[in-house]
Amino acid sequence: MKLDHSQPLEYSTHQNQLNFFGFWIFLGAEIMLFATLFTSYFTLENRVGSGPSGAEIFEITPVVIETFLLLISSFTIGLAVHAMRIGRQKAMIGFFVVTLLLGLSFLGVEIYEFIHYVHIGAGIQTSAFTAILLTTLGTHGIHVTFGLIWGTMIILQIKKRGLTAENAGKSFIFSLYWHFLDVVWIFIFSFIYLKGMM
Amino acid sequence: MRELFPAKQVMGFIFSLVLTVVALAVYFLNLSFAAGLTILVITAFVQALLQLIVFMHAGETKDKWSIYGNVAFMIFIALVTIFCTLFLFIWDM
Repeated sequence: MKLDHSQPLEYSTHQNQLNFFGFWIFLGAEIMLFATLFTSYFTLENRVGSGPSGAEIFEITPVVIETFLLLISSFTIGLAVHAMRIGRQKAMIGFFVVTLLLGLSFLGVEIYEFIHYVHIGAGIQTSAFTAILLTTLGTHGIHVTFGLIWGTMIILQIKKRGLTAENAGKSFIFSLYWHFLDVVWIFIFSFIYLKGMM
Repeated sequence: MRELFPAKQVMGFIFSLVLTVVALAVYFLNLSFAAGLTILVITAFVQALLQLIVFMHAGETKDKWSIYGNVAFMIFIALVTIFCTLFLFIWDM
């Protein structure tokens, strides 16, 4: 592999640059995946049947906690990429670990929220509204879960082999994925929770 | 230590916190539905742009117009899907 030292490490091979562009195309498809979920949500949100409505089950506290956890983790993964660019491997891994811990806390709050919904009679089979709500939130939650496993693998690779063009590229792609999940959450936060509680 | 916290990203982070607090105003203030939704649309899309440009480094390579073009196209298709469905099923037009 040819290394170009005029650019940050993650851009130094042609293969990496193609991988990044390919990942952007994938994120385009992910936009569409969540767009179809939002479409179904907006179509079904008033079909509550005999179950509760959004205004009755949404609680502001866990939602705000989840939002800030993801926002901070989006910031720390950005700092990890910056640390990688200035060659600070230890700091980079530190920011990666903080990011994943924040992601794990987010997931903890979300699982608590799901258990709470089921407990108050808003399970996935209650109504069209609860079904699409839990499917949309769950799809995002599964993405975060996958991100936690993926991020852990990247940390292990960097620890084992040091920072190379290959794992710098992987780290950069992971940061794109993580920021994307934060963007999706902002739309869930705004147009599912806040709109529902307004 | 300072070099680990570049000003651009710190400012971006503070701005994203401000946008979140502004969005939360629709819950704590007694706004009309239209006013609240307008605030949410603005804060959500500004927040998304902020992440795209500051944190995802979308504009720093030669293929930046391919990246922006791809994202813009998918957002366009996403909005068409959402609003055309709403037209048919909810607004009954």
